[in-house]
Amino acid sequence: MTLASPVLTPREAGLPSPAPAIRRKHWISRLRFLGSLLAIIIPVFLLATFITFLLGYASGLDPAAGIAGDAATPEMIARIRADYGLDRPVLIQYLDWMGGIVRGDFGTSWFNGVPVTQLILQRLPISLSVASAALLIGVTIGSLLGIGATVWRGSLFDRCVTIFASIASALPPFVVTIGLILIFSLWLNLLPSAGYIPFSEDPGGWLRIIAIPAMALSVDIIADLARQLRTGLVATLSENYVTGAIVRGLSPRRVLFVHVLRNGAGPALSMLALRVPMLIGGAVVTESIFTMPGLGKMAADSALRGDVPVVQGTLVVSILLVLLCSLVINLLLGMLQPAARRRN
Amino acid sequence: MRVRPRPDTGLPIRIAFLILGIVATLVLAGPYLAPHDPLAQNPYALLQWPSQDHWLGTDAFGRDVLSRLLAGSRVSILASLLSVAIGLLFGVVPGLASVFLNRHFEWLSLRLIDALMTLPFLVFAIAMTAMLGNGLVQAMFAVGILITPAFYRVSRAAALSVVNSDYIEAARLMGASTFFIIRRHVLSKVLPAVAVTTAAMAGACLSIVASLTFLGIGVVPPEPTWGGLLATDLTTLYERPFGPFAPGLLIVATVWALNALADGLRDRITQPQEAQA
Repeated sequence: MTLASPVLTPREAGLPSPAPAIRRKHWISRLRFLGSLLAIIIPVFLLATFITFLLGYASGLDPAAGIAGDAATPEMIARIRADYGLDRPVLIQYLDWMGGIVRGDFGTSWFNGVPVTQLILQRLPISLSVASAALLIGVTIGSLLGIGATVWRGSLFDRCVTIFASIASALPPFVVTIGLILIFSLWLNLLPSAGYIPFSEDPGGWLRIIAIPAMALSVDIIADLARQLRTGLVATLSENYVTGAIVRGLSPRRVLFVHVLRNGAGPALSMLALRVPMLIGGAVVTESIFTMPGLGKMAADSALRGDVPVVQGTLVVSILLVLLCSLVINLLLGMLQPAARRRN
Repeated sequence: MRVRPRPDTGLPIRIAFLILGIVATLVLAGPYLAPHDPLAQNPYALLQWPSQDHWLGTDAFGRDVLSRLLAGSRVSILASLLSVAIGLLFGVVPGLASVFLNRHFEWLSLRLIDALMTLPFLVFAIAMTAMLGNGLVQAMFAVGILITPAFYRVSRAAALSVVNSDYIEAARLMGASTFFIIRRHVLSKVLPAVAVTTAAMAGACLSIVASLTFLGIGVVPPEPTWGGLLATDLTTLYERPFGPFAPGLLIVATVWALNALADGLRDRITQPQEAQA
């Protein structure tokens, strides 16, 4: 192709749209990409749940003593264990448990006999609302700071972002939570410092109550995202194709948002996928400070009571959430950068 | 264009070393520096504000907060070092093995590491302590297992970068054993990267230990820890609103210092020419 000849799309050149065979090939490559992701995710899910299951199995805890009471005879305990299926080989127990999970049945709590699925469904919205609010705040402010630091790199703003990110990434969520309670509840008397109000009852109250936990959990995300985004974008800016785009007279805004952001955001997005398990972990602490009846607090309480099915259930749900997020982010990466699909 | 002098990259490192030095002193000498018995209760001096006798005041049981802070340093720091050591051992060895052993081990270990990365830290640590007994060692073992992916990935990546180079090929042709090649040629490439991860993970572990002890996991109540002190401060926030500052500052400063150390080490390793110039 010579420089003089303009690049024409097939339609402009009067050619028919891509042949069905090419389109089919395109779809096959997409499906193959999805398949390759699932080929990694499914073994990971099975291994992670198996670790979770083994943890409960190795604990040697069982509901027999609690149910049979002080007057328990060895026969009674053996019968209760048999009722719960705890006398079978570990692999059979795991497959049985897994079969239940696939059908949405996580077993029943040893403590009060309530189905674990019901307990989780009650508490999931609380944790999800805090976590997604934290993610929303974190991604918005983090991207703004990261892009700002790239545009005005070397300026005072850039250095402030760097210093902020370095300090913020050293702040454990519970320290931030205490600090925010001090500022917003104690001194300014603006936000409540404990409890939970469902969104359906009072949207304003819901927003006020999740404000502090969400802010506390977002600090980490803001710091990491700003730093990763700045590193990724600055590295991409020195690529030849960016110089080429500038030379061809594209506006700086177009170069940054269309050409650079697309390729430079990769590391930041991958980092975000790794943040999700920590978000769930951080939720445990903030929920316990706020005495919110969320998933994290339930897991902690049940763990301390020795309620194995509930702990296993919450761990499985968080594993599923983490894998779902990483699948979404990988698909997003594949869409933004078709080259990422060719990895492996 | 005017060339600006590079900002002094050594400054954060120097501050970090200063902070770590102070913390190390607290760990070694903390219990001896304490002006009062950290467990002694004084019903006549409850919830006092800072005074000459009690520099940081007293808590709801009349215990001296400064003494509790000093006494709590040892448990908080040693616990995080323990989990880093576990992560180091169970991460680096399989990480190197995944490069040098067969493909089946490689596939299995990669998936296992992916699986560990999906487990939420705190929930898993809490579950593990609940099921294996509520002790700091159990909690730290759980945390150590969960940070193995960082060490695994770093040592694997460093080993992969040299395993196909000519000099290793040459060593292999001369009949060197895998163990000799790792010891002689690979470790020198892996160790700097592992050092950076160790510093970064020490900071992360400290933060997790503080969170766990804050929740009351891994320690028995009268035993003071940094996280535990914050938990008591939270219950008396209205009486002593300044309470969380000292333990909070100690935690944040130590974690920051370890992160800064990791960043500084990383700069040294990734830009050796620039550092020498």
